[in-house]
Amino acid sequence: MDLYIGLKVLWWVLLGVLLMGLAIMVGMDMGVGTLLRFVGKNDGERRQALNVVGPHWDGNQVWFILGGGAIFAAWPTLYATSFSVFYIVMILLLFSMILRPVAFEYRSKVAASKWRDSWDWVFLVSGFLPMFVYGAAIGNILEGVGFHFGWDGQYYQTESFIWYLLNPFAILSGLLAVSMSIYQGGAMLMLRGTDPISSRARNYASTAGLVAIVLFVIGGFMIAGMHGYRLISGDPGMPANAVSGQVVHLASGAWLDNYAAQPILWLVPLIAIAGMLLGAMMLRANKPIIGWWLGAIAWIGILGTVAASMFPFLMPSSDNLNQSLTIWNASGSRYNLIWMTIFTAIFVPTILSYTTWCFRVMRGKVIKPDPADDHAY
Amino acid sequence: MDMLINPTVVELSRLQFALTALYHFLFVPLTLGLTFILATMESVYVITGKPIYKEMTQFWGKLFAINFALGVATGLTMEFEFGTNWSMYSHFVGDIFGTPLAIEGLMAFFMESTFVGIMFFGWDRISAKAHLVVTYLVALGSNLSALWILIANGFMQDPRGGTFDPNTMRLEFSSFVQLIFNEDAQAKFVHTSIAGFVTGSMFVMGISAFYLLTNKRKDIALRSFRIAAVFGVISTIGVVTLGDALGFIDAKAQPMKVAAMEAIWNTDYNTASASWNLIAFPDKAAGKNLFEIGIPYVLTPLLTHSEDTVIPGIHQLVDEAKPKVVNGIKAMVALKEYNHDHSNLQALATFKQYQADMGYGFLAMQYAPDQDLKKVDASNMTSVVDKTAQETVPNVWVEFWAFRIMVAFGFIMLAIFAFAAYFSLKNDIEKHPLLLKVAMWSIPLPWFACEFGWITAENGRQPWTVYHMLPTFVSASSHSVSYMIFSLIGFVLLYSSFIAAEMYLMFKYARLGPQVSHHGHDKAPAGGGMAAQPAFAKPSLNKQ
Amino acid sequence: MKNLFTFAGMALILALSLFLAVITGDYGPWYFAWLVGTTMIVLIAVAGAVMYEKQDGERQGKTGH
Repeated sequence: MDLYIGLKVLWWVLLGVLLMGLAIMVGMDMGVGTLLRFVGKNDGERRQALNVVGPHWDGNQVWFILGGGAIFAAWPTLYATSFSVFYIVMILLLFSMILRPVAFEYRSKVAASKWRDSWDWVFLVSGFLPMFVYGAAIGNILEGVGFHFGWDGQYYQTESFIWYLLNPFAILSGLLAVSMSIYQGGAMLMLRGTDPISSRARNYASTAGLVAIVLFVIGGFMIAGMHGYRLISGDPGMPANAVSGQVVHLASGAWLDNYAAQPILWLVPLIAIAGMLLGAMMLRANKPIIGWWLGAIAWIGILGTVAASMFPFLMPSSDNLNQSLTIWNASGSRYNLIWMTIFTAIFVPTILSYTTWCFRVMRGKVIKPDPADDHAY
Repeated sequence: MDMLINPTVVELSRLQFALTALYHFLFVPLTLGLTFILATMESVYVITGKPIYKEMTQFWGKLFAINFALGVATGLTMEFEFGTNWSMYSHFVGDIFGTPLAIEGLMAFFMESTFVGIMFFGWDRISAKAHLVVTYLVALGSNLSALWILIANGFMQDPRGGTFDPNTMRLEFSSFVQLIFNEDAQAKFVHTSIAGFVTGSMFVMGISAFYLLTNKRKDIALRSFRIAAVFGVISTIGVVTLGDALGFIDAKAQPMKVAAMEAIWNTDYNTASASWNLIAFPDKAAGKNLFEIGIPYVLTPLLTHSEDTVIPGIHQLVDEAKPKVVNGIKAMVALKEYNHDHSNLQALATFKQYQADMGYGFLAMQYAPDQDLKKVDASNMTSVVDKTAQETVPNVWVEFWAFRIMVAFGFIMLAIFAFAAYFSLKNDIEKHPLLLKVAMWSIPLPWFACEFGWITAENGRQPWTVYHMLPTFVSASSHSVSYMIFSLIGFVLLYSSFIAAEMYLMFKYARLGPQVSHHGHDKAPAGGGMAAQPAFAKPSLNKQ
Repeated sequence: MKNLFTFAGMALILALSLFLAVITGDYGPWYFAWLVGTTMIVLIAVAGAVMYEKQDGERQGKTGH
């Protein structure tokens, strides 16, 4: 196989890993934010809940920044187009993402209860909204997005943001992402919090797991009935140019083509459902560690299901089908992908090793911080 | 049909990017500098074993934390904005510009953000030496972060390491070595990083001066003042040296920027006696300075480190641009033909012939009839070329004064640091309350210098996003005005409340001083937010 | 034995620094300047603090504290 094609596929897999890492780790912190007002009934409990993710939320958030940079470099056209097409949604996501670090840093620095209560609302919104947008954006991409390119590569957009945010499938996908984040955040609160926080978290997380199963199954039936995209011709080794070079058709149920061709792929959605179901049961049985890992597996299954349906599409265009972004026409150049691969091969293991070290240094149960200790969150 | 982006949207996108970048840059320099100052203090703690240096590290670390959070938060905006507002730019240069940003995340930002957690919360969980290493890693990480960002910026200023590919219609990454060893990127990184050191030093020195003036924790204030003054005086010398080097490099790669910085309208061929404008009121429309005070015999040696290098004036540079515009138009017309039919090798050959000037063709698009370069013919060629060549001049007034303010503040700070270091080393700084007051009131100076430096660099790059390759007005995303107003209002509201909260907390903690944060750290073992449970706690080596 | 390890470690750091110096010194003179300059600034500032401790000790000795 041509090296360039191999690199494109490799970076597609890495894009998937990044989106999964983001969903699992950042989603967990977001879930803690969403649950904050519900698991913590007073200020002490809420501070304890915050300190569960306190030392690590920042490192996890970097996944998000890393994701932005990696998509920019490895998928320049995808980055340029998707971020602009979903402008208002992306700006809302951005606002909540920049509010969250500030909320962590400032919330407990002033004792006034009004100040702290306002920041707790910020945690709720900035935990819920980004996960909703994350899910809704993936839902929209499955449905096809209204954009096309001019001859020079400038993109043009045809649909307004209201439609992107508020259509049934997007709402369903958004809620699925929110449920999974609540599940994951709840599992972490059980793991590192003490009663009454952990028992409250158990109720919310296990319920969220069951809700996620229902949403995921409904979503599956909707995908089977909706218009999918089919790549009729397009050379995988082509120079990355989205303006021309592909023929794409629209067909009902086409998102299930890959499953029909490779029935073994049905295992992926099954893993997702099994992860959520067993995970919810484990949380009920007070086994948060296994529950957390099963939730992570469920996330991998959910995003893997989307990826398996869409391959080789990244972001189909409903406006000009042939200009749909695929793995073949939206990637970086061969030279660039080689360098990116080298840097990833060196630094991802490095990152994983020092992150593990940091988790080890900071492990242990979190108790309520001393009210006078303004060093804690 | 080529459609240009609505000019109002372009201007609003520029405004939003400039505001968010200037805002982000309020937090960056302090992070760059304060981390190394914290590392210095902690080094003294590990070397001498005196607990007061640990207390100092923790106290300044708390102020650092307030700043760091906003730096991270507002940095996220920057990473998003290329995609959300500069779609054509991202598509056009993403293959080479995105890579340093991705590497920044992998190599630097991850390190900085992960270890910062240990730096704040890990005092009682790892040995003093290990903690010192962590602090150095945070300092190194934040500066490596700046390195990769400025490598990306260096590419915008002087595009090296990328080649335009007519088949993909974008600049493709072609040389890693050229990208990272770009002279502009190198000098700019050192200049910016050391400007951060100056900012950190002024911050620590000014607040320490305040404690000395109000008799708070003199033990901490005197020591912090000493470290900051010494750190600051060397750094300021470094910043000035590097600023000079950067000017020297710009004179080669971006002559228009330098001409605008110095408000030189006409080339003075008597290079030795060419005069340097100390003060000028440049008027771009009139094409001259309305008023100027010049010093002869200074300009050429100052900028070029020689007596005989000619420094071209703005008018001459505009004239030099005209043939490039003519070639650029030919290149773009051929490129469009090639893109409609990839078998048109004739068009490809024509494009390759004029490829070097294609950016000027992009720039001419706004003046072509119906924005179609094909319609530029003998009848309107001269007018299109003249207007386009004139367009290559940045806003001279802003450039000249932003540069002057930065340099002036740099020299004022050098003087302050020199006196401060002298008296601090003599150990009688307390006998000079006037100097202490000056130091305290000078805290904002480095921020002004940094912001004006940024304006000098980026305003001088206009009208290009990638110098000589891609004009700004082509780079933007095609949004509606209402989208832009929505996001702008959002940013203004959000960012003003952030700055209010940040200033409130900074003043609160700076006024309270070290004695408050002293509680519960050295005395009680619960240094972080997490209890050191006996089963998990590692032996603490903090008390030496 | 411990000395040997320390020596080997130091030698490794030295070799690495030399390698960095050769690479950056050749291609990236300004990067090299930053490495050397930053190390120098930190070391001199540390020396300044150590000097303060000495001055402070002398002063306290004089005033009889």
